[in-house]
Amino acid sequence: MALGGRMMFRRGPAVDMPLLLGVVAIVTLGLVNLYSATSVYADTETRARLADIYVSQVYWMVVGGLLAIFVAAIDYRHYERFAGVLYAGGVVSCALVFVLGSNVRGSSRWIQLGSFTFQPSEFMKILLVLMVARHVHNDHKNEPRTLVDLAIPGLLILVPVGLVMAQPDLGTGLIMSLSSATVLLMTRIRKRTLVAIVGAAGTTSVLAWNHAMKQYQKDRITSFLDPEHDKTGIGWHALQSQTAIGNGQFLGEGFMQGTQNQFGFLPDQFSDFPFAVFAEDWGFVGCLLLLCLYCFVCVWAIHVASQAKDRFGAALATGVGALIFWHAVFNIGMAIGVLPVVGVTLPLFSYGGSSVVTTLVGLGLLMNVSMRR
Amino acid sequence: MALLGQRSDVGEFRRRYRWLVLAAISAFLILVGRLAQLQIVQGDLHRAQARKNIVRERSLATTRGVIRDTEGRVLAANRPSYNVHMAPADVDLVETWPRVVKLLGLEEPEKSLLEAKIKEIQAMPAKGLSPREEKRRGQQVLLKVDVDRDIIAYLETHARELRGVEVSPQPVRYYPYGELGAHSIGYMREVGAEDLVRLEERGYRAGDRLGAVGVERRWESYLRGVRGFKKIVRGVSRRDDVQEVEARYLEEPRRVEPIPGRDISLTLDIDMITSIDKAFRGQLAGAVVVVDVRTGRILAASSKPSFDVNVASGGNGVQAVADTFRRLNADPLKPSLDKTISAAYPPGSTYKPFTALAALADRLIDPTTEVDCHGGYEYGKRFFRCTGVHRKVHLHEAIVQSCNTYFYELGARVSIDKLASVGLDYGFGVKTGIGINPEARGRMPTRSWYTRRYKEAFRGGFTLLSAIGQGATTVTVLQLALAYAALANGGTLYQPQVVRSIETSDGTVVQEFPPRVRRLIEPDQEHLNWVKSALEGVVTEKEGTAYKERIAGVDIAGKTGTAQVSHVTPRGVDPGKVWYFNRDHAWFSGYAPSRSPEIAIVVLVEHGGGGGKNAGPVAMRVVRDWQKMKEKRLSSKDEPAPSGSRPN
Repeated sequence: MALGGRMMFRRGPAVDMPLLLGVVAIVTLGLVNLYSATSVYADTETRARLADIYVSQVYWMVVGGLLAIFVAAIDYRHYERFAGVLYAGGVVSCALVFVLGSNVRGSSRWIQLGSFTFQPSEFMKILLVLMVARHVHNDHKNEPRTLVDLAIPGLLILVPVGLVMAQPDLGTGLIMSLSSATVLLMTRIRKRTLVAIVGAAGTTSVLAWNHAMKQYQKDRITSFLDPEHDKTGIGWHALQSQTAIGNGQFLGEGFMQGTQNQFGFLPDQFSDFPFAVFAEDWGFVGCLLLLCLYCFVCVWAIHVASQAKDRFGAALATGVGALIFWHAVFNIGMAIGVLPVVGVTLPLFSYGGSSVVTTLVGLGLLMNVSMRR
Repeated sequence: MALLGQRSDVGEFRRRYRWLVLAAISAFLILVGRLAQLQIVQGDLHRAQARKNIVRERSLATTRGVIRDTEGRVLAANRPSYNVHMAPADVDLVETWPRVVKLLGLEEPEKSLLEAKIKEIQAMPAKGLSPREEKRRGQQVLLKVDVDRDIIAYLETHARELRGVEVSPQPVRYYPYGELGAHSIGYMREVGAEDLVRLEERGYRAGDRLGAVGVERRWESYLRGVRGFKKIVRGVSRRDDVQEVEARYLEEPRRVEPIPGRDISLTLDIDMITSIDKAFRGQLAGAVVVVDVRTGRILAASSKPSFDVNVASGGNGVQAVADTFRRLNADPLKPSLDKTISAAYPPGSTYKPFTALAALADRLIDPTTEVDCHGGYEYGKRFFRCTGVHRKVHLHEAIVQSCNTYFYELGARVSIDKLASVGLDYGFGVKTGIGINPEARGRMPTRSWYTRRYKEAFRGGFTLLSAIGQGATTVTVLQLALAYAALANGGTLYQPQVVRSIETSDGTVVQEFPPRVRRLIEPDQEHLNWVKSALEGVVTEKEGTAYKERIAGVDIAGKTGTAQVSHVTPRGVDPGKVWYFNRDHAWFSGYAPSRSPEIAIVVLVEHGGGGGKNAGPVAMRVVRDWQKMKEKRLSSKDEPAPSGSRPN
């Protein structure tokens, strides 16, 4: 431990500048965009509430940034040892939601802690990635993995995913499964096993549709498939989002000028649809820039992984990249109408302390791996 | 380093990175592709939709044209009225609402219903509603119609404190003369849901009003005007950068002014209609038409009983309209029927001049033809009764005394088809084309009509009945008036006219309607003069059927008629009143002055009894008033014209 600390200083600040710049750029755009999203024309009361949202987002950015630096400062290999404990703690807090959780819009996702609430499922995403990375790290094998080999990581994934889905929080569950699956895909898996898993996932979704899913969750999917004939209003939201994005045209309406946002046609414009606000204000050019930034961070994460000196580092970097990737793709995909509306945040754009802190901590881990390759 | 474990084998991952990078980049490319589609390919489409979301078109009401009579007096105009609405989402239930309730005098159960509505709408979330919910939330609710001016003034001065309460001007049609000429002028009604499907493409919307009857209906498209509009940005009134926002988001033209409807000048003379109303006071039901024999213009048309068109148009509220029509439809005297045009009656003896002309035209009689009246006429196995015993009569006496026997004799000589063809020449049996109300055709029966109708051999008796204006022969009051006008003017059948000219709201004449001749009948003038001198005799000769009712100084020629009615009582009539519905119709048809006719007048008193006694006096008094009026107008024309030639 002491040696690790000295080593860091000896090597000096080997900060990964491209990654840092990329993240700072996204953070900047995210804050600028949130300003636009929270300055819609409304009555004084609403405006005050929106201003509070903006300020608290800035606070969370600072908190998240400091945490990221802290996380990056300690050699990531230490986390490998603590991954199990952290994971267990995460699962417990996810379960605690059912006992202590405050119910917001039909699902219990938040835990009240003093004066603020936090969302254990957000932190669970990163803890799960850590845990899966740890498993991959220790699971040396030369021949392709079989179903039996995947039983343990499968279980590691399914427990928190199941808890999150039961809240119910479909989006987070989906992101957790997809990002940890991405990490597992790094290892060699037998083709037959892969086919079996995909088949099982398919069957599970069909069964879930028929027996487990709530009506509003189904509505989201059906309204995605047929937005014009939507009765719930969700399809209407999706359409308004697309109108906003299309309204941006090539160069955009200009900062804080997007009418769909300013006149209140975008639902949850600072949590679920910040991309629509951005696209309307900055147009295709702005969107291209933002997509390039996200794409860069994801690809850079894979680059960092490929340079990592151990399996844990490689898996961790891949996991963080996958988290960013799936979040971005799902959130933007739903805003532009190629994916159904599931509540997935846009990293560093969406409002939410837990989400911001989790993302920044994840990026701190990525930086950590990058600094120690 | 050793402390942190062995450097593990990362070789297993090597081959995966390339695939991951490829997958990530392709995923983002798909997103970029879709973005290009939305923002570049369909950009204009979405821009248009976004603008549509925030821009509202407020329509600007137009004003309906004014209807005036021939002297420029206003028959139908618009009176401002104010309706009070509220936007439930903006109304403060604690501060504003109780004040509004008190001001408008809202009462239970209306008050509670409105309150429930406010609560329901205020409970809806402000955002994330479906379009339907959004629409429901934004809908204005009508609180009260035609609110007092004082209250409106108060509401407007306190508009800032009473947020969500809005006043909208809604012009109401106003008819200064109420019941007079109601059927011809017409009234307004609200566009119904079923009409809306058809009318929407012509620019009507729910809640609009349109002419339902009479001139209001026939000339609707002229009177109505064209709605204007102004574009506004949603919720702009709450912003402090109105100008800027409007300049940015509103496309030109931002405002299009409404075009007021055309004004219409009628040929009707409200003074004459007033005098008809007075002369008709003693009678329950009937109709009068006065036409200008030189033009075919209708100077007066009156149908009794009448009703107040102000109430029928909604001037006293929706409930009053419903009540009025329930009452009108239940009345056995049929007040809503325009008896001048929409109903056909047997003309009785007033038809005799046309029978005479038919017989004269076929050279079947001449003025010397003599018929001996013993109080009736034997034809086949039947005896056709006369009104009395007239002894030896010629054409002149037969008309003057209204001898049926003489005309039965004509009926025996002339063919039914000849009677019909002369009738058609004078405009009977076909619609006149006046167009303001549904028109009855009347009937000129022919041989083939009888064959079709009765499916048996034609009988000569039918002709005898038609000869005295009974049997299957029916006419409308208007047809008879136009036919008498043709007698009076020497054989010109005019197209009846109600509208003299169309003007813009500033008084410029857009279109004038000169008289139109429908047919030159070209009767033998000698025949016509025989008949006309007899019509003069009806009033002037001692034996004349209208002699007793003559008024000194009133120069009128005409024919009385007493038409038997088929004994069919309207449904729902009190048995105690059936006698009334079995009484004969009383007629008087004529023209004045007798030697140089200017107007033709037909009076029908439904179930009035004898024509001379009941219909005659009405005609006499109307003509007397007309003569006085003419003198007055002539003398006033000699004086310098009063300033402001256009009365309003």
